[in-house]
Amino acid sequence: MKVIYLMLPIALALGFGFVAAFIWITLRGQYDDLETPAHRILIPEDSLEASHIQVNHEELNQV
Amino acid sequence: MSHASHSPNMQFSNSMNSIEPAPVSNRLCIHCNTLIPKNRKDDFCCRGCATVYELLQVRGLDTYYELKKKGRSIRKAVPVDDEVENLEKNSFQYLDDPEFLRLYSTAASENPNSLLTGRSMQFYLDGVHCAACVWLTEKVSDFVEGVDSVRLDLANSVATVKLNTEGSFGIVAEEFARLGYRPHPVKQDTLHALKKRDERIMLVQLAVAGACTGNIMLLAVSLYSGLTGPLAEQFKWISFGLFLPVFLFSSIPFYRGAWGAIRTQQISIDIPIVLGILLGTAMSVANLINGSDHVYFDSLSALVFLLLSSRYVLRRAQQNALNASNLIHFLTPSIARKKNEEGLFEEISLNLLRTGDVVEVRAGECIPVDGIVQQGQSMLNCALLTGESQLQKIEPGQNVFAGTVNQQAPILVTVSESGSQTRLGQILHSMEENLNRRAPIVAFADRVSKSFVTTVLILVGLVFFGGFYLLGDWHETMNRALALAIVTCPCAFALATPLAMSSSIARCARSGILVKGGDVLEKLSQISAVYLDKTGTLTTGRFEVLKYTGDEQLLPIIYALESRSNHPVAQAIIRYLDPPETLPEVENFVETLGKGVAGTIQGDHYRIGRLKKAMSSPSSQKIEKQSSASPVETQIGIYRNEVLVAEIVLGDRIRTDSQEALEALRSLELNLKILSGDSSSAVHFTAEKLGIPLSDAVAEKTPEEKSEIISKDPKALMVGDGANDAVALASAYVSLAVHSGMEVSMRAADCCLFSPGVLPIHRLIVVSRETMKVIHRNFIFSLAYNIVGGIAAILGKVDPLFAAVLMPLSAFTVLISSMSGTAKLRKISNEGVIG
Repeated sequence: MKVIYLMLPIALALGFGFVAAFIWITLRGQYDDLETPAHRILIPEDSLEASHIQVNHEELNQV
Repeated sequence: MSHASHSPNMQFSNSMNSIEPAPVSNRLCIHCNTLIPKNRKDDFCCRGCATVYELLQVRGLDTYYELKKKGRSIRKAVPVDDEVENLEKNSFQYLDDPEFLRLYSTAASENPNSLLTGRSMQFYLDGVHCAACVWLTEKVSDFVEGVDSVRLDLANSVATVKLNTEGSFGIVAEEFARLGYRPHPVKQDTLHALKKRDERIMLVQLAVAGACTGNIMLLAVSLYSGLTGPLAEQFKWISFGLFLPVFLFSSIPFYRGAWGAIRTQQISIDIPIVLGILLGTAMSVANLINGSDHVYFDSLSALVFLLLSSRYVLRRAQQNALNASNLIHFLTPSIARKKNEEGLFEEISLNLLRTGDVVEVRAGECIPVDGIVQQGQSMLNCALLTGESQLQKIEPGQNVFAGTVNQQAPILVTVSESGSQTRLGQILHSMEENLNRRAPIVAFADRVSKSFVTTVLILVGLVFFGGFYLLGDWHETMNRALALAIVTCPCAFALATPLAMSSSIARCARSGILVKGGDVLEKLSQISAVYLDKTGTLTTGRFEVLKYTGDEQLLPIIYALESRSNHPVAQAIIRYLDPPETLPEVENFVETLGKGVAGTIQGDHYRIGRLKKAMSSPSSQKIEKQSSASPVETQIGIYRNEVLVAEIVLGDRIRTDSQEALEALRSLELNLKILSGDSSSAVHFTAEKLGIPLSDAVAEKTPEEKSEIISKDPKALMVGDGANDAVALASAYVSLAVHSGMEVSMRAADCCLFSPGVLPIHRLIVVSRETMKVIHRNFIFSLAYNIVGGIAAILGKVDPLFAAVLMPLSAFTVLISSMSGTAKLRKISNEGVIG
């Protein structure tokens, strides 16, 4: 049963590593919005790159 | 400024059309996937959608439609407002006003290393619903200069726009509007930031409690199954270490709640919880040091974790209900168009207006101030402010009040009072006063727990001292007192109410009812009378065609004539009719104020105006009264060459579901009453149609008189919509604001409806009564458990360890009982779910 003195601290450290990670990301606001990321993943990457379409506002008003 | 080019078509706002849908085809709109009305020939449901589609094509943004096919919609897509067509340039210029920026934007000072020292502002966007919307709104940063980033929070419909120093919020907002998402700036107050912080901390507390509880339970399993020796001792110390974060950090909300209650000399359920936690901890620590077997860290942390989860779920349920609503919609800043020295109009924030300023109010807009009409004639809708259903004619020199809606033509108003000095402002003020004065109800749970806690404390004391006296055995006495304290720990008791309430509030939210707290459900279950407002609550609150008698062939002619007028009556008729395929040519069109419209079509002279026959002979008036006409209705005649050929009856229509809703409420043995500010003839007419005795229909009441009547009834539910109801809503025992009411009333009321009509009230009351049944059931169960356990503990039949195992078990039973509700509750909440 000696091995428990090795396993227990490892198990606790592992568990609390994840708790710490959870606290960190929660305080950084990653759990504020649970809905949008699920949708954002559908957007293909190339369409997110800034293609920088310049828009002339005078022109727009005629559309 | 382009206000001169304003087109009268803008009054046909989308919100008006959506209530009474036109007949639809089976085709779907390319842009918004709603059914296309029969009378449209293209692939769009409305002009708004067509305009946005065209714009996306021109800009090469048609990826939007590909994305739309892939993604799932989180809410129903709505057609784009037709106003997008007439969107004026610079109509959001006020957003860049320094005063406005100070109130609504924040400097990006969080990251000082960033060169982008611009500001950020949040917008509530109407109509965002899927991945494609996320893509499109965030794409704005690519094609508007000076925008650093746009991030959309889809669940809340809130986009955060971050600018470079060069950018302009006005242009970004205009861009959103052009893409079909009407933007409403959201005020960034410190309260909002604090709430967000609170929520994050709550989640962390829950996580810590969960992780610790899990680990403690793993250790406890080996202890329960008979682990002894040094390892057992070490395990107990480790559990103690794991319990510390729960005790010192996760339980903070309970300590705060209990302290707050003690300081204000009230009793709250937090007090027994804290007592339980402190007592349990003290005993466990004492036993730990003594080397005794009885430590209860597992039960205590499980109690904290379960309680925190139920509170978190409760909060999320309420939050979701708020998000699903359009409540935030009303936070739109109030803007007025003020005439400046050069005679031009500029948009300024409402609180900058001074007495004597002249503001322009366009047709369809709300009058922002109390004042005197300087120029222009129009019709005024006062329904929200006074409850009157008939439109009022206004001319120069007349007084107008903030909160009324200008229906017909642009007017200029000289400001006499603005802001809190207006009639509306005063109503708001007295509403807030009433809200504060309302006595807090001592919830059933608190009443019971108060006596419960006292009883337990006395019993433990008795057992402790009396036991020692009777038994003479110190150790045995200690054990019995401990077992009693643990077995009566208010675990199941504390969970009984919040769990049942939160599951019911979530049920309500799913069927479109926002309930602002658990005590509201309890109050709702006790009411004996329902006071209903008339205009806008039982009726639709706007002018509508009730009946048309005449030849179908005449309809295109009526349409052609009335479409040239923007009189409210004409608008109501246009809304009612389908646009004809070919519009007949109109010659010599004349509109006379108060007389109607006339013109020559295909050689015949047509005139549409007030019907004469009812006015002329008293005998026919009598007949009319017996048929359908009433004092609240307006009759319009269509004359061909001065011969009456058709009739239209208009009025404030009683909602289609009102009758059914009142029947349902009567079946719950509730007293139904009407409380209205409208004229008694109009109120009596409605009461008669809905089968409410005239003695119960109270009319011509000012907002203050309404409030007085309602506050005299100790068990009354007030249902209303407008500003004229707000004070009564605030002073009623419990109150409810119906769909499309004013912000004031939504804020004053305890619950709000998010679907039109009054039918959901029945469901709400049934849910509240059933919820109380579940709570009573939970109480009976946990009390029975506590009494049986307590007696057994006093008699020494239960040792503290066994009590500690029983405790989470009883909490679990309460959890199951709350989640499953009653059969009736499950049935009624499944009926009302809106998709």
